[in-house]
Amino acid sequence: MNDVLDVALRLIAVFAVFLVLPLVVGQAEHKVMAHMQGRLGPMHAGGFHGWAQLVADGVKFAQKEDVVPADADRRIFQLAPAVALLPYLLVLVAIPIGPGRGAVGQTVDAGVFFVLAVLGVGVLGSLMAGWASANKFSLLGGLRTAAQLLAYELPMLLAVASVAMAAGTVSIPGILHAFEWWWLPWQIVGALVFFVAGLAELQRPPFDMPVADSEIIFGAYTEYTGLRFALFLLAEYVGIVVLCALTTVLFLGGWHGPYGADGLGWVWTLLKVAVLAFVVIWLRVSYPRLREDQLQRLAWTVLIPLALAQIALTGIVKVAIN
Amino acid sequence: MSVAATAASATAAAGPGFLSPSGVEIAFLLVGLVTFGAALVTVTTRQLVHAALWLVVTLGGLAVEYLLLTAEFIAWVQVLIYVGSVVVLLLFGLMLTKAPIGRSPDADSGNRPVASAVAVAAAAALVWVVVDAFRTTWIDLGGPAQGSTEVSGRFLFRNWVLPFEALSVLLLAALVGAIVLSRKNGAARADGNAAGGSGKEQR
Amino acid sequence: MPPIPGSGLAKGLAVTLRTMTRKSVTAQYPEAQPELPPRSRGVIALFDENCTVCMLCARECPDWCIYIDSHKETVPAAAPGGRERSRNVLDRFAIDFALCMYCGICIEVCPFDALFWSPEFEYAETDIRELTHERDRLREWMWTVPAPPALDPGAEEPKEIAAARKTAEKLAAAQRKEGEHQGQDRDEGQSRDQGPGPAPGQEAGE
Repeated sequence: MNDVLDVALRLIAVFAVFLVLPLVVGQAEHKVMAHMQGRLGPMHAGGFHGWAQLVADGVKFAQKEDVVPADADRRIFQLAPAVALLPYLLVLVAIPIGPGRGAVGQTVDAGVFFVLAVLGVGVLGSLMAGWASANKFSLLGGLRTAAQLLAYELPMLLAVASVAMAAGTVSIPGILHAFEWWWLPWQIVGALVFFVAGLAELQRPPFDMPVADSEIIFGAYTEYTGLRFALFLLAEYVGIVVLCALTTVLFLGGWHGPYGADGLGWVWTLLKVAVLAFVVIWLRVSYPRLREDQLQRLAWTVLIPLALAQIALTGIVKVAIN
Repeated sequence: MSVAATAASATAAAGPGFLSPSGVEIAFLLVGLVTFGAALVTVTTRQLVHAALWLVVTLGGLAVEYLLLTAEFIAWVQVLIYVGSVVVLLLFGLMLTKAPIGRSPDADSGNRPVASAVAVAAAAALVWVVVDAFRTTWIDLGGPAQGSTEVSGRFLFRNWVLPFEALSVLLLAALVGAIVLSRKNGAARADGNAAGGSGKEQR
Repeated sequence: MPPIPGSGLAKGLAVTLRTMTRKSVTAQYPEAQPELPPRSRGVIALFDENCTVCMLCARECPDWCIYIDSHKETVPAAAPGGRERSRNVLDRFAIDFALCMYCGICIEVCPFDALFWSPEFEYAETDIRELTHERDRLREWMWTVPAPPALDPGAEEPKEIAAARKTAEKLAAAQRKEGEHQGQDRDEGQSRDQGPGPAPGQEAGE
């Protein structure tokens, strides 16, 4: 009985994080983006600086009619948002925010592989949506999503392989336990490659070619309305949280900090995640969208060679230490 | 593959707990049945993209079977490579061919008997090999995981290095072949537009 | 010297970050009223006492959004034995602001200064028919018409003042001439009376 309660509590905690953090990131995006453009952003919903804007948006989405196009493949069309969203929930389970068994939903032995594998599944949701909508813009969006995923999955994997080599384990808490501060300069290239490839996989600007609203409306999500559309948006923001958390735990040392190591590890993790989320928003505001050929060139001719060089460097240093 | 999995499940159930199967065994059998069903639908459905999506279910089911057999590493690699990449590539190709929504009857070729004969032969061979290799081997779920990353790595790089490296050379050959093929096509069309996406489409 | 690779990317990030630390320029409209420039075109006001029903505005309006109804009245003769005069009386004057494109031509062409720009702009309605403002509502807008802004320094003199000054100067010149003629006939004391003090024409000019 105690085990059941323990599991239930952990799942509830993960679910709460799953629901709250994306909204926080979304609200931060509203405000940070507004101020970076000399605006104020939402100011009315909730009274104080529009803090409840996303709640209001959610209510609005819930009220909208759920439209399925006449020519669409109904079941796949309706299933797609769930396929896009659920993997991120699963990934959150495996990310530790502090040392000790209490600070992680479930320790997974091959945690790194688990995380990357499940993240890759999420893209299937976009593909299903793009194909099932019976809309040429959706189909184009789906195609671009697939092309982008194929290009950026590899550098992401290679970067993670580098850090796994450095730690000598593929378990995420294991990597964190092995972390030393000098890993930061050692793995910095890998971290950059991972972060950029992750951004591309989330289709965040400047890598938002698959949903480029000025040319293909909203890519694979063009035909979606109401709650299903909201689920896709939620998937994007959970994706930001997951990407930032992964970069934090794999490359930035997670709960390790200059001081306050005991009991305050989770503060460090959250702080690093918040800073990275800010960077994600910052990049969105600062850079224009990359063209499709630029996207492919960046992946194949810059990120993959960099990741391979990082692996070589990791190997050399590892051998030198031993 | 799914046939092999169900066969493996049958051998597993024939062990000590044959009359009073444990929860894991029941789960294994059920998942095996689902996987087998999904595999059947994959080859029989007349809608191309549905077939690809049922393939996702099949491969996912296989990953779950690996998990139940404590081969965690293999399970996640299965999801990562097959569900995350191969099926995505497949869908990418299907979308490029403008796969229609609904049935595509012209996708059936007349090779059904030959194909099923080959499939049955392959399944029989696999089942026979697996049954013969493992017979009454029993996985001890209580002890340390026997399919963990560490164990798999040790096996792969101590006992099976040569096949592993041979496989990588094979993949490299396939890669080089793909590049050669796509470049040749580009030259024949006599425009230097073989960059990025177009090169990949031809692959 | 070639630029450092990535310096452009860093510059872009710096711009957005700098903008974020500055005060934003958003005007929070419903809470804070906007500071409108002079001559803002908000709504058209009607000073109906000046209107002579000449119909110029309605005819010049590019999208025909001005509606005018009138009738003729006869005014009894002012002097005994005189002729009766007829006069136009305004019955209805309405502007459909759903059609109006705020070009201001009606205000330009009005020869009797009966139409004015008012800076008021908060008259949105939930029913489009409510946007046709009738005579009394147009008259109400007159209270919101601001005083005309001062002329720019060095600007051309207003026409009516220029005309008044010219006539005054003419009058003064005529009087002076008359005075000179009288001075030749009579003694010089009278001309000394008119000499000091500014001429009325100069006063009008200032």
